[in-house]
Amino acid sequence: MNVTINGQPVQAEPGETIYAVATRLGIAIPSLCASVHLSPYGSCRLCLGEIAGLKGLHTTCSLPARDGMIVNTESEQLTKHRRNLIELYLSERAESEPLGELSDLAKRYGVTQVRYASGARRAAVRDESNPFFVFDNQRCISCARCVRACDEIQPAFAISMVKAGFSIRPAWGATGLNSQDGVASSTCVSCGACVKECPTGALTEKTILEGGRPTNRVRTICAYCGVGCTLEAGVRDGRVVSMVPADDGPSNQGHACLKGRFGWTYNYAEDRVRTPLLRDGTGWKVIGWEQALNLIARSFSRIKEQSGPDALAAISSSRGTNEENYLFGKFIRCVMGTNHIDNCARVCHSATVTGMMETLGASAATNSIRDLSDAKLLLVVGANPTESHPVLGARLLQLAHRGIPLLVIDPRRTEIARAATIHLQLRPGTNVALLNGFGHVIASEGLLNRTFIEERTEGVEDWLATVKEYPPESVERLTGVPAEQIRLAARMYATSGASLSVHGLGVTEHRWGSHGVMALCDLALATGNIGRPGTGINPLRGQNNVQGASDSGCLPTHFVGYQLLDDPIAAARHESLTGRPLPSRRGMKIPDMWDAALDRRLKGLWIIGYDVAQTDPNLKKVREALSRLEFLVVQDLFVSQTAKFAHLLLPSASFLEKEGTFTNLERRIQRIRKAVDPPDGILPDWQVACEVSTRMGFPMRYGHPSEIMDEIAALSPMLAGVSYARLEQPQALQWPVPDKEHPGTSLMHRERFARGKGKFVAVDYLAPGEQASEEYPFVLVTGRLLEHYNCGAQTRRTDIVKLVNSDVLEMHPDDMARLGFNKDQLVRLVSARSSAVMPVSSSDRVRPGELFTTFHFPDTDVNSLLSSSADESSKCPEYKVSTVRIEPVDLENLDPTDDAKRRVVRSRIKAPSERAVAWVAGDG
Amino acid sequence: MVREGRGGHLKRLNLCMPITLYLANDTSARAAGADRLAAAWADVPDVHVVRTSSRGAFFLEPLVERDGPEGRVLWPRAKPDDLARIRNGAGGISLAEVPFLAQQQRAVFARFGTAQPLSLEEYRANGGWRGWERANNLPPEAIIAEMKSSGLRGRGGAAFPVWHKWEIARRTSADQKYVVANADEGDAGTYCDRMIMEGEPFRLIEGMLICAKAVGADRGYIYCRWEYPAAAATMQAAIAEVERTGMLTIDKHPFRLEVFRGAGSYVCGEETALLSSLEGGRGMVKVRPPYPAVAGLHGKPTVVSNVLTFGTVVEIMARGADWHAALGTVGSKGLIALQLGGRIRQPGLVEIPFGATLAEVLERFGGGMAEGSRFKAVQVGGPLGSLFPESQLHIPLCFDTFNEAGAVLGHGGIVVFDDQTDMVELARHYMTFTADESCGKCTPCRIGSVRARELLERIEGGSGTAGDLDLLADLGDTMKATSLCAHGGRAPYPILTAIEHFGDEFRRRLPSNGPNGTADRRGRNVP
Repeated sequence: MNVTINGQPVQAEPGETIYAVATRLGIAIPSLCASVHLSPYGSCRLCLGEIAGLKGLHTTCSLPARDGMIVNTESEQLTKHRRNLIELYLSERAESEPLGELSDLAKRYGVTQVRYASGARRAAVRDESNPFFVFDNQRCISCARCVRACDEIQPAFAISMVKAGFSIRPAWGATGLNSQDGVASSTCVSCGACVKECPTGALTEKTILEGGRPTNRVRTICAYCGVGCTLEAGVRDGRVVSMVPADDGPSNQGHACLKGRFGWTYNYAEDRVRTPLLRDGTGWKVIGWEQALNLIARSFSRIKEQSGPDALAAISSSRGTNEENYLFGKFIRCVMGTNHIDNCARVCHSATVTGMMETLGASAATNSIRDLSDAKLLLVVGANPTESHPVLGARLLQLAHRGIPLLVIDPRRTEIARAATIHLQLRPGTNVALLNGFGHVIASEGLLNRTFIEERTEGVEDWLATVKEYPPESVERLTGVPAEQIRLAARMYATSGASLSVHGLGVTEHRWGSHGVMALCDLALATGNIGRPGTGINPLRGQNNVQGASDSGCLPTHFVGYQLLDDPIAAARHESLTGRPLPSRRGMKIPDMWDAALDRRLKGLWIIGYDVAQTDPNLKKVREALSRLEFLVVQDLFVSQTAKFAHLLLPSASFLEKEGTFTNLERRIQRIRKAVDPPDGILPDWQVACEVSTRMGFPMRYGHPSEIMDEIAALSPMLAGVSYARLEQPQALQWPVPDKEHPGTSLMHRERFARGKGKFVAVDYLAPGEQASEEYPFVLVTGRLLEHYNCGAQTRRTDIVKLVNSDVLEMHPDDMARLGFNKDQLVRLVSARSSAVMPVSSSDRVRPGELFTTFHFPDTDVNSLLSSSADESSKCPEYKVSTVRIEPVDLENLDPTDDAKRRVVRSRIKAPSERAVAWVAGDG
Repeated sequence: MVREGRGGHLKRLNLCMPITLYLANDTSARAAGADRLAAAWADVPDVHVVRTSSRGAFFLEPLVERDGPEGRVLWPRAKPDDLARIRNGAGGISLAEVPFLAQQQRAVFARFGTAQPLSLEEYRANGGWRGWERANNLPPEAIIAEMKSSGLRGRGGAAFPVWHKWEIARRTSADQKYVVANADEGDAGTYCDRMIMEGEPFRLIEGMLICAKAVGADRGYIYCRWEYPAAAATMQAAIAEVERTGMLTIDKHPFRLEVFRGAGSYVCGEETALLSSLEGGRGMVKVRPPYPAVAGLHGKPTVVSNVLTFGTVVEIMARGADWHAALGTVGSKGLIALQLGGRIRQPGLVEIPFGATLAEVLERFGGGMAEGSRFKAVQVGGPLGSLFPESQLHIPLCFDTFNEAGAVLGHGGIVVFDDQTDMVELARHYMTFTADESCGKCTPCRIGSVRARELLERIEGGSGTAGDLDLLADLGDTMKATSLCAHGGRAPYPILTAIEHFGDEFRRRLPSNGPNGTADRRGRNVP
């Protein structure tokens, strides 16, 4: 559409407001209440313009552009009105510090005087009850950007405008109207969107109030989850004082969650490891870097000589950069000559890797995050995105609110399940049965996409024969999901026109995880819901760089870019570049390493940025294995549970302190940038790898991580076109990027699948590793809360602990009553392996006979309960199904060193009746 | 003569035929004492009191009527003791003897005073329901064409061409559409919507049915202000009655109509705030576009129209568009229902064609000033309307002439002030009203109304300056030009017209010379 703004002809897109067009093109129209992220509100009136042919003035923030519209936003009368409006804003508060954008406008329009004598002022309301930000009504202009952000972006609906007329202001929760701790009592999830939107600083980060406003900003990527939000680190005096999401971040578009937004202060935790530490009895001795690096080189060399290269292995960090991961892989392959390297993808999405490699030939998200907006139906399987991938979860909620049908398959009634059109609440461990049930309906009701099956797939006959045995009534008996729901959901998935699936660890972390993934892929192949926008199979990778760690070759089974170890072309490239052959024999997966360590076949292990002793399953076994190693090197930010077994502990540089790249869950390789120096000359991990390797006779020297990326590109066709220069653009690059001109791939399998044709793999339902029994009658599901991240190493060292400071066992109210438990009472969970003590809470998210808890706090030691049951092919552990019994705890008999009884339980988990009572009583 | 008094009527029982007396149950009539009459005569066996709608001549209430050989006989301002007189037929006057009524050209209010509000039979027998019967046999396009030919403009205040709003709603496709009657009638001094709801509730239902058919809606709401409990109850009973007879249907499909009561907010008379309230939210004004006809209640196409507008729609369908278009002026066709109030002799409802001047209305219908009062000013269009001094009363009452004069007809309220009125106090009162009722969304109204009130309070209290008057004018300009809705947009008009026409009253209140000489400088510097 052709529009003229202030004499300048511009092009407007359909549906754009004049203000949006102007903002996009850099034409400045003043406003305080408008935001490109939010619906128009019409409060400040500063954006008013004159429109040819229309009487009066019109808010450009709300006026849709029309072809031929002539807009004028600058004139004498408009300036006069703007000055008067700014003056009114200034008049409702006493003289005080600068008011952000309001002060900027006052300067710009030359408002140096307030003509009104003292009159009514804004009320002195100040809410400091949230750990991360403060609300100060005296700086507020009642523009409601915070309210709209909370309603439209997150959405958490925690804020309302209260009172009317002059006194109107935002208030949080049910108590915010009359108290000053409304935020804490509300449904606020501390995403910080309101703080970002606030134009005057009425909402400000506590870290900025304490540390001052940043003087420069460094653009980087969050180091928490696989969404890979672009954040700007605000730096002042060499310290980070804020992290603000970037509007042009391709995966987050200006949004973030509390972890990325506020949970970065662990960077300055007191107990950061600052120097290499050598084991000294049960304690440590500080040693220098030279000494430490030499010790590693010597020890590894000795072990290799005496026991052979198979006695050494490395576990790399899915939170470290691609460059670091590649170098650790290079080290093992070139210095050790083996493939004994693995990463934590093993314990989360390894089943995705095996499942998708077999069916599609590539094991990453087939589509991109933006495809969510193109989908006509969303399927969430075994994932809890509003807590584990919150920015993605927010997008899903927005779409669900807008009426896009949402199907959720999960044994728990999570927030996303509550928002679903249909929540298929199945028994833990029955995914394959349910998915085959979908297949049955699709096949028997004529909903197969015959053309797609014919042209793009193979092997459908076996699959059809298998799903024939899964009529909905049988599936109902097995899964507990009503047959009618199964029919309805399957029909919706098959006929929507574009169904997009996301899945998480609720599919993979099972004994038959790979099968679950395959069954899911089969549905996409059967209905043609893949290879097009708005569709696909999209695993929600957990860690910030778990995708990249595998991409970079930190796998015992594949080389960089998933090239096979016996691929002669890959081997030739490797040899010509490194001078060493590419080892062709598969290496040990992490569970194999524990077995080898227990047998004392594995003597040396290098673990980088991964707390196996807290997060792997069957912790008793893992800890025993670690204790039998001769030489364990651990590299980490903090003294982790694993470090307690280490002979040598090396400090790490955090993501704020080094250069490199992370690859997010949509295959997007994005740059992290150094914002501040690491303390005390800590070397980034990639330099450590180089130093050790060089000292062991294989020199590795790079001037800058970009050179490492160049090497990765040279070795891998999938990443051949990647370089730091090309990664400077905000949208970075999504692999495959086969050459330097290729723009990257947002949609995979468009014309052909990575393996050629998509392959149907028929799978049958098989029981999980453990079934409820008389001795262990409860089924335990483990997972995460929004507030904490995995083992909590980072989040426990931030003010997030003021929100949640304990793992809590969620139990259905009927079970609570039957067992006679009260809220917050300590109970003991007992499994065939071990026991754990924690507080119990009534929850409506689980069903009778089922339990849920998290593994965020090492003292709870939840993972020691879990078995070694794991996916047959990928060895992905069955975190999602364990059986336990519950016993009351006699406080007198509690281990005096166990601080469980002193832990105050403050979490958001509430039972339904509690939720209602709390709402009425006003405590959220 | 038989002695009057309490027992007197019992004696007459055996001698007289039972008589039917008509008494309005309209709230204003009741406030004037109609209920007292009804109570006093309730136990009189041969007296049958029938409660009807009010004629809207409130200076005559409580008005008792009897059927006479040549039509109704009226006993204005009756008292309980008047029963004997009335029974004898003595002292009554005919309608023709009430110029206030006789000189009107009533159409919407033609039958007011005659029938029982909740008798659907009477309503139909007296000519009601014809409009709907005709519309029901026409296609939607034809109904809208009729509205277009009639030239009907909305009566809520915005005066938008009714056909155009209906056409937009008709053409916008959606799975659900709504018709909403704006019965918030917040302007003090207005009552015609209340009269319709209390007096001829079926008329409102009929008008909404016609609209619903034209736009394709099958659900309707009447948003009735909280302060009209009798109107709400009457509408609910009327709806139930029409439902009971099976007539609340469009093309055999039920039309679901509900009464929704407001909660005391003036600004909920603004259509987007009204819809927000109807959805269960805060009554705050929304930006337009989108307009409710495209996306209104729950985001669906919604026609929001004033009660009187729906009432007029009924007449247009019953009598034809040409009838309507032949009345009034070029830009303002049809009739206007003016609601006179204040210090005039004859407050009440006046239904006449557009085009009469303010002076004519005040004289011919208002009957001049009340006993002992002298005219000072008249406010037209509600508490945010402009003030007209004596010198400006020659203005014809139509939308365009008023618009050119920077004034509004609004909902037709006309309030007359006498020479006892302190214009400064009046101005301060109206700005206080604006501030109290502001929804608080937009800055010029939210903060501006409070600042303006403070300025006026200072002037009223004797500590104002000449600079304050300049500031009021400047602020007033900004409020007029930049407010989100007419609440802030019209708020300066009563004040600025008061200052314009009665400036001396304001200037007299300023201290003769401030400490610094002429205009004191107030305020502060911005850091």
